[in-house]
Amino acid sequence: MGKDTGFKEFPRKAFGYKPAEERVKSYEEFVVPPSEKELGEQGARCMNCGVPFCHSGCPLGNIIPDFNDHVYRGKWGRAYESLRSTNNFPEVTGRICPAPCESACVLGITHPPVAIKTIELAVIERAWKDGAVVARPPRERTGMRVAVVGSGPAGLAAADQLNDAGHTVVVYERAEKVGGLMRYGIPDFKLPKDVVQRRVDIMAAEGVEFRTNAHVGANVPVSELRNGYDAVVLAGGSTLPRDLILPGREGAGVHPAMEFLSQNNHRVSGLPGLRNQRGDEIAEILATGKNVLVIGGGDTGSDCVGTSIRQKAKSVLQIELLPKPPDGRTDRTPWPTHPGPAMLSTSSSQAEGCTRDWSVGSKEILRDAGGKVVGVRAVRLDWSAGKPVEIEGSEYVIPAELVLLAMGFLSPEQKGLLEELGVEKDERGNVKTQNYATSVPGIFSAGDMRRGQSLVVWAISEGREAARSVDAYLRGSRSLLAAKSGSLCQA
Amino acid sequence: MKLVAEVGVGTVAAGVAKAHSDVILISGHDGGTGASPQTSIKHAGLPWELGLAEAHQVLVRNGLRDRVVLQTDGMLRTGRDIAIAAMLGAEEWGVATAALVVMGCIMMRKCHLNTCPVGVATQDPELRKEFKGRPEHVETFFRFLAQDLREQMAALGFRTVDEMVGRADRLAPRKGITHWKARTLKLENLLHRLDVGSHGQFCCTAQDHGLDTALDNELLKMAASTLRDKSPMQAEIRLRNVNRTVGTILSSEITRRFGPDALPEDTVRIKATGTAGQSFMAFGVQGVTMEIEGEANDYFGKGLSGGKLILYPPKASTFDPVDNVIVGNVSFYGATSGEAYIMGKAGERFCVRNSGAKVVVESVGDHGCEYMTGGRVVILGDIGRNFAAGMSGGVAYLLENDKTRSRVNPAMVALEEVVDAEDLIELKELIERHAEYTGSKRALDLLARWPEAAKSFVKVMPVDYKRALREQAAAVAAVGGRS
Repeated sequence: MGKDTGFKEFPRKAFGYKPAEERVKSYEEFVVPPSEKELGEQGARCMNCGVPFCHSGCPLGNIIPDFNDHVYRGKWGRAYESLRSTNNFPEVTGRICPAPCESACVLGITHPPVAIKTIELAVIERAWKDGAVVARPPRERTGMRVAVVGSGPAGLAAADQLNDAGHTVVVYERAEKVGGLMRYGIPDFKLPKDVVQRRVDIMAAEGVEFRTNAHVGANVPVSELRNGYDAVVLAGGSTLPRDLILPGREGAGVHPAMEFLSQNNHRVSGLPGLRNQRGDEIAEILATGKNVLVIGGGDTGSDCVGTSIRQKAKSVLQIELLPKPPDGRTDRTPWPTHPGPAMLSTSSSQAEGCTRDWSVGSKEILRDAGGKVVGVRAVRLDWSAGKPVEIEGSEYVIPAELVLLAMGFLSPEQKGLLEELGVEKDERGNVKTQNYATSVPGIFSAGDMRRGQSLVVWAISEGREAARSVDAYLRGSRSLLAAKSGSLCQA
Repeated sequence: MKLVAEVGVGTVAAGVAKAHSDVILISGHDGGTGASPQTSIKHAGLPWELGLAEAHQVLVRNGLRDRVVLQTDGMLRTGRDIAIAAMLGAEEWGVATAALVVMGCIMMRKCHLNTCPVGVATQDPELRKEFKGRPEHVETFFRFLAQDLREQMAALGFRTVDEMVGRADRLAPRKGITHWKARTLKLENLLHRLDVGSHGQFCCTAQDHGLDTALDNELLKMAASTLRDKSPMQAEIRLRNVNRTVGTILSSEITRRFGPDALPEDTVRIKATGTAGQSFMAFGVQGVTMEIEGEANDYFGKGLSGGKLILYPPKASTFDPVDNVIVGNVSFYGATSGEAYIMGKAGERFCVRNSGAKVVVESVGDHGCEYMTGGRVVILGDIGRNFAAGMSGGVAYLLENDKTRSRVNPAMVALEEVVDAEDLIELKELIERHAEYTGSKRALDLLARWPEAAKSFVKVMPVDYKRALREQAAAVAAVGGRS
């Protein structure tokens, strides 16, 4: 709730970054948090709004004015209790969330918004440091068993909530380590893996069982889920990448972004072999000494940029099909919306030294005689008519020895698990649900597997809400798990 | 008359309709100022639907509905809200929060803190710069609202709002409401339509306020020459408690002809005997002096605007005026100028929101001088509790006794001795006039012991008012020194 006049007294100060030339030398995190005094001032900027839009801006419904106020008053313990009541993994969102809460912050109408994400990270890191984050196993067990397939943010959030409700939870993960996208997708410099592991360790201490190298539908029969558990939560993510169907696509040196990123995360963590996120052994992909072309201007593309720079690429160019977005909000992205890609933002990776270009279409991937990629024939696009029109005579060649495709994800993998379970799917191939329940009784779904590719914060929200649905199903009555605020109509 | 939606509001509405109210507003719990305490916002009041339905039905059933306008407010936002309000019985509607939101209000609920970040409810020049509202926004909103209402009416088959008012039979509860709290609701009574034939369902006749029988008509005749050429006049009248707002029409006529401060003191002198009804000399203007031998009801001198009032008990009475109530509650509410001398005890809320009148009285009830911002009050006896609460200006002189100090609300005022020469002169003058006009025995006793008696007085001084006066004096002195 902060100080009445705080927003007039203190300017916004979010966490800083170490200088680019220093941080690219390693895969270590480079965030520099503000001092305790500065954090208190940032909390003081919160206005305790009559209608706090940050609540609804945040997919988790974090009680943001509450912990802002506690930080302003130096009550760090209370701030942590408030934060953990709605967010299972604040240490993750505090690092990599694009902070739709800050987009919705009322102060943002006229001033730079409250540095909510900075405060969130400070609260949770302090809680870890003070030993406040401890295993809190449930007092009673219900005797019912739930299997969670996939250990990304949605699966882990669902597991955490269901375990808290007293059910016995087993998480199946096909890779070697738990964490899904948080482990294998997001680079270490944005989300260190010890941060993921310490949370997994707490959950294990609370009684959640993790089975890794357990690929349901491959080395674990689907029948094991059907027969061994009272309910199943499918949280396998949206893992099929959108491909670029072009002549020369099969050339050596063209890879989906996630192969490149997950292999590097394996490498940084010292895991054996050169594996992708599924755990399959793949050929080595290295940007070192190469001209790297990243096709796709989103978050995954950014991670490819930062990773390529750390691998000492010769040059990194990131291109985007769409035109360059405006610098600020427009009439189409007014407060309190989260403009997302409709507003120009520069990620820390892009600031480390990459060139960006917009309105560029790819025509052909060029190869040398040995089949190795040497470049991409591209064309400039005119979007003035609202659709892409190739500008005549604007074709040019982008020299590149490594082409990374970061154009989003289409759907979950259909073969194996989903087909064998026979759950209904929507027109995009995602699992179709009603209140997180699939068409097959007792089987639920959450996260990207259900809603399609999205943010980690949405995955956590989905996991929590799905857990409520599962809990209600198992109890045969209303779930007592914490609910996101909703109106009477939804009750 | 604004009434809060609650059980029994119908009875109250019928009462005020009988008492010649022109408009009755049924106010719901949902809207309201952003300065309200959170507890009130969340937990006070009932939906306007309940109060409106009850008020309308009671008024119709008793044949009172056709002579009052029934309004409702409390977070009406859409044409649908207004259509429902009309069908439950309101022909006028208040839309405030929605209009504010259109101007850029984001419901910060900080109206009382001067920190409204969008410049709607703040005096801070920096924050006011953030105000982005334009009149056209509000105009467009109300056009949309009217259009929305028209569409609702068209869907229901009403051609005019008059046709729609009171047609609760056209409302039905939404089907399929499964919430457990809705299970015990019985809406039949709420949606009942009274078909009472000749009695109207909306306002179609004006209230008879009986202005033609008001005593002021006599006063106007008596003052005919004064109203022509400002010549002085004197008259004697008899008062009864049915004579309300005596002197107000006369005052308005004087203002209309000559302006507010045009008549010299005592131009019109009226001596009245008997009991004054409510609001005696409300908004009475300068140049009019009313003397009453008798007593007065509530709102005596309300909004007094320069007139002079003198009130004392019948000369033949034998009781001690200091211990006997002579005037009702809320006298001199919002008075702006003028003077008054009352020999006797006044009721509660004496001189609330007074901003300039000088008044002498022998004792007062609770909440005296609340929210006072200017003027002088001299009290020659007891005060009730919570004296001077929220008093931010003006001065009160109290004849101190053993209860005085414990009854002053100390939040905004300090108690001082009366030692300043100017204060002493002012106090003595006021007491002298009181003695002269009313023959007050207590005033005469004090004057006989003057200046020793002045030591028994205590001065009630608002702390911030004192600081402002001091700063003003310093500024004047600085300017004077330079020139």
